[in-house]
Amino acid sequence: MQTTIHSLKKGQKAIILDFDIDVIPLKLLEMGCLPGNEVELLQIAPLGDPLYLNINGSHLAIRIETAKLINVELIKNKQK
Amino acid sequence: MIQEIIAFIILVIALAFLIRKFLFKKKSDKNCGSGDCGCS
Amino acid sequence: MSLKNINVALIGNPNVGKTSVFNQLTGLNQQVGNYPGITVEKKMGFCKLPNNIKANILDLPGTYSLNASSIDESVVIELLLNKNDRLYPDVALVVTDVENLKRNLLLYTQIKDLEIPTILVINMADRMEHKGISLDIPYLEEHLKTKIALISSRKGYGIEELKNLIVSYKTISSEPCLNASIIDAEYFNSLRQAFPNQLLYKLWLVITQDVNFLNLERNEIRSSFTKSHSDLKRLQQKETIKRYQFINDVLKVGLKIDSSVAKDFRSKLDRILTHKIWGYVIFFLILFVIFQSIFQWSKIPMDFIDSTFATLSTLAGEHLPPGMLTDLISQGIIPGIGGILIFIPQIAFLFLFISILEESGYMSRVVFLMDKIMRRFGLSGKSVVPLISGTACAIPAIMATRNIENWKERLITILVTPFTTCSARLPVYAIIIGLVIPDTYVLGILNVQGLTLMLLYVIGFGTAILAAYILNIILKVKGKTFFVVEMPNYKLPMFKNVAINVIEKTKAFVFGAGKIILAISVILWFLASYGPGKQFKNAEKIILENTKAHPLSPIEFNNAVASQKLENSYIGLMGKTIEPVISPLGYDWKIGIAIISSFAAREVFVGTLATIYSVGGSDNENTIKNKMAAEVNPVTGEKIFNFASGISLLMFYAFAMQCASTLAITKKETNSWKWPAGQLVFMSSLAYIVALIAFQILK
Repeated sequence: MQTTIHSLKKGQKAIILDFDIDVIPLKLLEMGCLPGNEVELLQIAPLGDPLYLNINGSHLAIRIETAKLINVELIKNKQK
Repeated sequence: MIQEIIAFIILVIALAFLIRKFLFKKKSDKNCGSGDCGCS
Repeated sequence: MSLKNINVALIGNPNVGKTSVFNQLTGLNQQVGNYPGITVEKKMGFCKLPNNIKANILDLPGTYSLNASSIDESVVIELLLNKNDRLYPDVALVVTDVENLKRNLLLYTQIKDLEIPTILVINMADRMEHKGISLDIPYLEEHLKTKIALISSRKGYGIEELKNLIVSYKTISSEPCLNASIIDAEYFNSLRQAFPNQLLYKLWLVITQDVNFLNLERNEIRSSFTKSHSDLKRLQQKETIKRYQFINDVLKVGLKIDSSVAKDFRSKLDRILTHKIWGYVIFFLILFVIFQSIFQWSKIPMDFIDSTFATLSTLAGEHLPPGMLTDLISQGIIPGIGGILIFIPQIAFLFLFISILEESGYMSRVVFLMDKIMRRFGLSGKSVVPLISGTACAIPAIMATRNIENWKERLITILVTPFTTCSARLPVYAIIIGLVIPDTYVLGILNVQGLTLMLLYVIGFGTAILAAYILNIILKVKGKTFFVVEMPNYKLPMFKNVAINVIEKTKAFVFGAGKIILAISVILWFLASYGPGKQFKNAEKIILENTKAHPLSPIEFNNAVASQKLENSYIGLMGKTIEPVISPLGYDWKIGIAIISSFAAREVFVGTLATIYSVGGSDNENTIKNKMAAEVNPVTGEKIFNFASGISLLMFYAFAMQCASTLAITKKETNSWKWPAGQLVFMSSLAYIVALIAFQILK
């Protein structure tokens, strides 16, 4: 199922599909946000923003406004 | 008297230091890396 | 025969322990300065290697890639592209973290493309077992075309091997490990043909970055090979993908993780520390502990320093041969130095705590917790560190805003940080509170004086936040909205790193601000000890005349002469000139002098008062407080330092922009005079008005 990082629930994993290269900064790509890489939502900040993610092994946090712009495909995960 | 001479020298140093600090603030700052700064 | 020292550059992502490696190699033989023209820290150190070889180690700012997104990162590129730079490295050490190797290697492949001999340092080897990681070093060395030093800067092993590798730098390969130019072979081939003498990757960096490149005119390259912004970004994306593909392929074989062994401490801690309730509770508790400790623990060393210098001053006056120089030393220089050193305990403690929070990885979680709240006020989660650091000194705090990506958020943080109660205000607060606030307890345990101090801190922070809110609405500044913060693994802070950090920062502060304060103390003393005109010169005669009817005792006489002299000294005249402006605030010309002098450095306020009340008198701290308490307005007969004027002074200092150094650094970081000018005008007016209202209401 296609969605954006913004809509992930805590603990969900997804594969990054695509995003508008002109809007997403190069830095994020360099930190591992590339099509085909896996992203997992680890924590949501108490007020809903930012999002703490594991992208391709990198642990980082981004704001929702950026997360909304990255399209991902959910991975059917078995309950841990 | 020598005391007065030294005291005045100190005063001049203090003044010179402050003037340099506050006028030179526009250019480079401390520890330029002695000698060739590599400024382009 | 001594050969030239070799230049070693330490490069790497933030949070890989690069600083630890630097510390391990250089110990305390390091010095921190600035790159010319900008406020990025330049850390250099010296290291003695085997075979009598000496190395200059340059610790470059942490960066994720050579594609710079901030001034810090651009420093890295500029150095690495300029072969003629004095500091151009003979060998580069790319420091990586074994747990984040994949991402760390991106920078590594870029450095390799610059054809500098590069050693790959894989740090945090001590964690490999915990995480079930195993490496095939020979395989990695072969495919990454380098020599690998597997170290643990924390435990201290691998350092000797690393030093040996550095010594053999001439044998280290400087060949790129992959060929990224195939992402657009045609384009890069024509580029290569046009500039056969330049490194292809260098040319590419010049095209895509705003870099100063000495040997080649940027315009030359750009005009013929320019592409649209979009196209460039697309190519950069392809380049990044290509590099990661290469890295993935190499690591697939070279690095193995046995996840059954891996222990995951991080997520357990994260769950508590970013919890919607506990996260904040813990954070505020930590803040509370920090501030309490800073005050409690600093009291004793501060009192010690204070009384030591008071004693030194008296001794100097008594034992050195009488004369101008002796007076300058005992009344100007010694108190001046004391006034600087007295800050060390507080600043050291604050840097200590901040260091620990950052080293442990906790700071990122704070940023994560606070971002949304801060944004309501136009700030960023990353503004937390500058705002907290501002309680030591605004200058390092403003420098710490460099990692805020959004320009508007960064600007606002820079502008409001000076509102937080910096340690320079403390001596002013301390002495005024001591004079006008009763030393009693409320509810039995809360000390009123202590509460007043806390209240002043709250006012400081509150004003900062409020100002941010207003600025956010008023300012129409364009800023690219982007935020990313790495959440590093938790680590126990290394004592060595923290200690070195605290020492370096404290040293920088003491010597930097200290020189200014000392110079001012000297000048102040002169201004207070000399005056134009007959009123000053003939002080003794005048007093004799005035007290003919009721002659004074020798002590009273001396005090009267001292007063007369002070009032008519240069600084006394300056104070009297501004008296009409400040008397609605409840201040007299003596306070006026102190306010003027504290414009260069707030700490000087108390020192000035000490000078004013001790020129001609004794230097005992106690006596100064008593003297101040006894000061009376000649016209009204009322005490000068009363509750109303005391509060007014406190308010004035809470809001006034009196630190020239802060203004200077604001100008540097914002690249314009308009911001610090605005700060000066706004904060000074605010201080004046609030102090005025306070005095008029309370008197």
